[in-house]
Amino acid sequence: MNTSSRTTVVVNYVLLTICALVAIYPLVGVFLASLYPTGPGSQPSGFSLPPTFAWHNYVTAWEQGKFASSFQTSFFVAALMVPASVVLSVVAGYAFATMRFRGSQIIFWLFILGLIIPTEATIVPLYYDVKAMGLLDTSWALIILETSGEVAFGIFWMRAAFIAAPKSLLEAARIDGANSWQTLWRVMVPFARPAILTLTVLCFADSWNEFFLALVFTINKTTAPAGLASFSGRYTQDIALVSAGAVIVAIPILIVFIFFQREFLRGMLTGAVKG
Amino acid sequence: MASSSVRIKIALAILVASVVAVGCTPGGSVSQATAPPAPAVTGVPDTGPITLTVWDQESGQVSKVWDQLNAEFEQKYPNVTIKRVNRDFGELKTLLALAMSGPHGPDVVEANQGWPDMGHLVKGGLLLPLDNYAQAYGWTSRVSPNVLRVSSWSPDGKEFGTGSLYGYTTMGEIVGVYYNKQILSELGLTVPTTFGEFEQDLEAAKQAGQIPIQFANNDAFPGIHEFATIQDQIAPTSYLTDLIFGTQRDQLSFDTPENTQAATTLQDWANKGYFTPGFGGAGYDDSVSNFANGEGLFMITGNWIVANLGADNTNFGFFPLPPADPGDPPVATGGAGFPLAIAAGSEQPDAAAAYIDWMTSDHASDLLLPTGEIPLHNGKTPTVQPGTVLADVVDAARTVSDANGVVPYEDWATPTFYDTLTSSIQELMVNRLTPDQFVQNVEADYKDFQTSRP
Amino acid sequence: MEIRPEVVRGAVASVDARRRWTRGGRKQERLPGEARRIAYLYIAPAFILYAAFNLVPLVQGVNISFYNWDGITPGTWAGLSNYTDFFTDPLIRQGYVHVLQLMLFYAFLPIVLGLFLAALLSRIRIRGLTAFRLVLFLPLVITDVATAVAWTWVYDVNGPLSTFLRAVGLGSLVPAQGWLGSFNTALPAVGVFGLWGAFGFCLILFLAGVMKIPASLYEAARVDGANAIHEFFAVTLPGLRYELQVVLVLSLIDTLGTFDEIYVMTSGGPGTATSVPAYLVWRRMFQTSQVGSAAALGITLMLIIFAVTYAANKLMDRWGDDE
Repeated sequence: MNTSSRTTVVVNYVLLTICALVAIYPLVGVFLASLYPTGPGSQPSGFSLPPTFAWHNYVTAWEQGKFASSFQTSFFVAALMVPASVVLSVVAGYAFATMRFRGSQIIFWLFILGLIIPTEATIVPLYYDVKAMGLLDTSWALIILETSGEVAFGIFWMRAAFIAAPKSLLEAARIDGANSWQTLWRVMVPFARPAILTLTVLCFADSWNEFFLALVFTINKTTAPAGLASFSGRYTQDIALVSAGAVIVAIPILIVFIFFQREFLRGMLTGAVKG
Repeated sequence: MASSSVRIKIALAILVASVVAVGCTPGGSVSQATAPPAPAVTGVPDTGPITLTVWDQESGQVSKVWDQLNAEFEQKYPNVTIKRVNRDFGELKTLLALAMSGPHGPDVVEANQGWPDMGHLVKGGLLLPLDNYAQAYGWTSRVSPNVLRVSSWSPDGKEFGTGSLYGYTTMGEIVGVYYNKQILSELGLTVPTTFGEFEQDLEAAKQAGQIPIQFANNDAFPGIHEFATIQDQIAPTSYLTDLIFGTQRDQLSFDTPENTQAATTLQDWANKGYFTPGFGGAGYDDSVSNFANGEGLFMITGNWIVANLGADNTNFGFFPLPPADPGDPPVATGGAGFPLAIAAGSEQPDAAAAYIDWMTSDHASDLLLPTGEIPLHNGKTPTVQPGTVLADVVDAARTVSDANGVVPYEDWATPTFYDTLTSSIQELMVNRLTPDQFVQNVEADYKDFQTSRP
Repeated sequence: MEIRPEVVRGAVASVDARRRWTRGGRKQERLPGEARRIAYLYIAPAFILYAAFNLVPLVQGVNISFYNWDGITPGTWAGLSNYTDFFTDPLIRQGYVHVLQLMLFYAFLPIVLGLFLAALLSRIRIRGLTAFRLVLFLPLVITDVATAVAWTWVYDVNGPLSTFLRAVGLGSLVPAQGWLGSFNTALPAVGVFGLWGAFGFCLILFLAGVMKIPASLYEAARVDGANAIHEFFAVTLPGLRYELQVVLVLSLIDTLGTFDEIYVMTSGGPGTATSVPAYLVWRRMFQTSQVGSAAALGITLMLIIFAVTYAANKLMDRWGDDE
């Protein structure tokens, strides 16, 4: 397998570079477009550099796209949804992993079911339910719905993480007289910290990127992606501004991704790669 | 796997739950909003601070005028703060019902007339009947009955064009043909007076390398204007009006030779290259700028682009698409503009009514006139500079209205008509549908709706 | 497109959970001791929330789907007619035909590309793989509304794609109505967007999987006289079976639920050329007030997803059993 002749190596790196370029191509394109001066007459064009770098577009886009408000909502929703999802998943996952109880299989299967039930199947009744609760156009609707959607995966994830704990750990805790609650927080959680961190990061990504729910349930109190969609729909003529808006919305998740790439990759690959 | 007895228990539980749920018919009874009593005194009540939330879809210059009018209203009534929520036309269509059933709904909304929008809102009891306010403020005598009719509904939302008044406006719209005077004279042409002449002009422009009709249909709605304008010249006006109001239920059909002819003409024009190349993927706003910059001899759209062209612009003119026979009266799509309505859930209906009266006052229409909004008040002749595009538009609106040739917007005809019409026209114009198929497609929607009406 | 992470892991979970529960008894060796009632307390918050907002609405949705309802006034009983619409309403059929076509771009092409490239690239040690991984994951990680907006620019008549084609003399390929405005190119254009989003993930996934295949297997194959192609089919492909299964299932499910990019890039147009089931659900709920139909569409979509998941899993299992 390691027959690495020089040509093979070079070819392979070239291939990888091409793939990377393809991946980044539209992103660079939209970034360049965002720096073109706005207004009629100045059309972003292809891949050429803009005549001047209109960084001011970002300020304009921020104001006109009302991103201050939508970012605030997005962060607020994430700030509540992520801890809620993680805590609920940790607690329930722990129970599934370490305790035997009647119906555990069924309940677990019900959660697993939730992973395959698409949002579209429940969105219609959910809309009227949320309306009846008076929670339309509130961040709470998003927080609740995103959390309830996330726990299905979170429980599976944490259960797998806790099951991997060596029995000796649990035995030691029991010998020390710790009850289940103490065992969870003093022993299991520290053990599973990487998994919990990964879950946290993934929850944030899901919350930040969530569009469909925001579109359906909010209008004024809307999140960043929905704000962007609305902005791009209204300013179709001004490509530079809309592009700036897209970059603005992409930045937070980009930052999180760069700082937590290990967790991201672990989250997306571990479950899928055997061993 | 779970034991079979457990599985049976689950299945039973699900069955029970489903049966329980199935028993419930979705949707509750709707209580129709009762008209608030006529206020003893018009104007905003002086009962402490009031916030009025207003939803509108105005943009550009009109939007700026709105800002000014709002500020003036706040000055006039210092206890009022106006919270303005501005969305675009497409969004407002989708979001209005959602907004008005939410917790902090708007007080005043711009509600598009017709079955899809206002009809839906009235049916859901989301709008207040305005009759008492109309009487107190004298709205009914300020405009012609037609203007009131298109915002009138039976309180249960089942009949259109009759019943209580749910929206009010004093501004009108008209859809017709703008022309670039310079290009017209360069081609040695004059303003056409018959439909045939118009088509000859199109050909002449094409031969000379000009864009005959500036047009872009990626936003879908402009196609309606093109089709309707042609259709207005071929199908009888009374037929069209009845069709749109639905007064004859399923006795009327969209599948008529006239409509097929209109569709054929539209498709012909597209195939002959009379429209801007690449119109399917281009945006409406772009096409308006392009036309304003001199690209295109004609543009078939409504009075609202006067703001983009500049009311004082003397290089552009406007005329309603001429009828086939020079002796025939002019017909054009248009009529009442976007009406203002009061949400049933509003806690400040009296203040809202005062606001509507303000936004439809003479003062407001004076400010809005330069943006191309046509005042509809009885007996009011707006002062315009002759020779400008605004003068042409106002003139055309008056002529058509006086000749009773105003046809309402066709997408009002059924709750799904906007969707059906826009996508079918898009397909028609690129030959994906034959005129016959087009007409049948649209008729299927129309018939579906009319037969399902109680 | 977004391979929505939760769906990724959903498919993973479904596959994995099945394995754990069906392959030889319960994995209870790790669980200490006696049954605990307190477990219910631990599970309760999550389960109550989940049941209230996922399971109960499901049943409600089924109920609504049996009515013709405009969302406001009382509905009228429609029986199964909203479901038979699946067979009679051309718009619904069209939506599913479109997602089927999208599957080519969202599932099959990225997988094939990923496999092919992973096989090629596995032969060497790659330095700076982390950097490559970072970049290749970007299309998936960044909010898909933002990437969809980026691609709308790419497809603009003056955008990178069209200018590039004109620069190399292929300007005639640019459709008259624009890539997203042309009936023939709109759906494939969305497809390419999805392909772009997915291929990086597939590549990295398969690469990681291939690295785990013991070198001894390759040596054994080579001893038997296998060339590169034989190696691929005899060692690489079977070695990636698990990953393949996961990615196949998840990408098929994900395609069925496509919504965001359609909303941003085409609004289902031109005409209805890019309409998809999820978009139809939204449209019917909000724009045309056909709420009962929307509910039925959602339930149908769910059933189809179940069926696809089951079929794909079964297929992959069978392939595994043939080994």
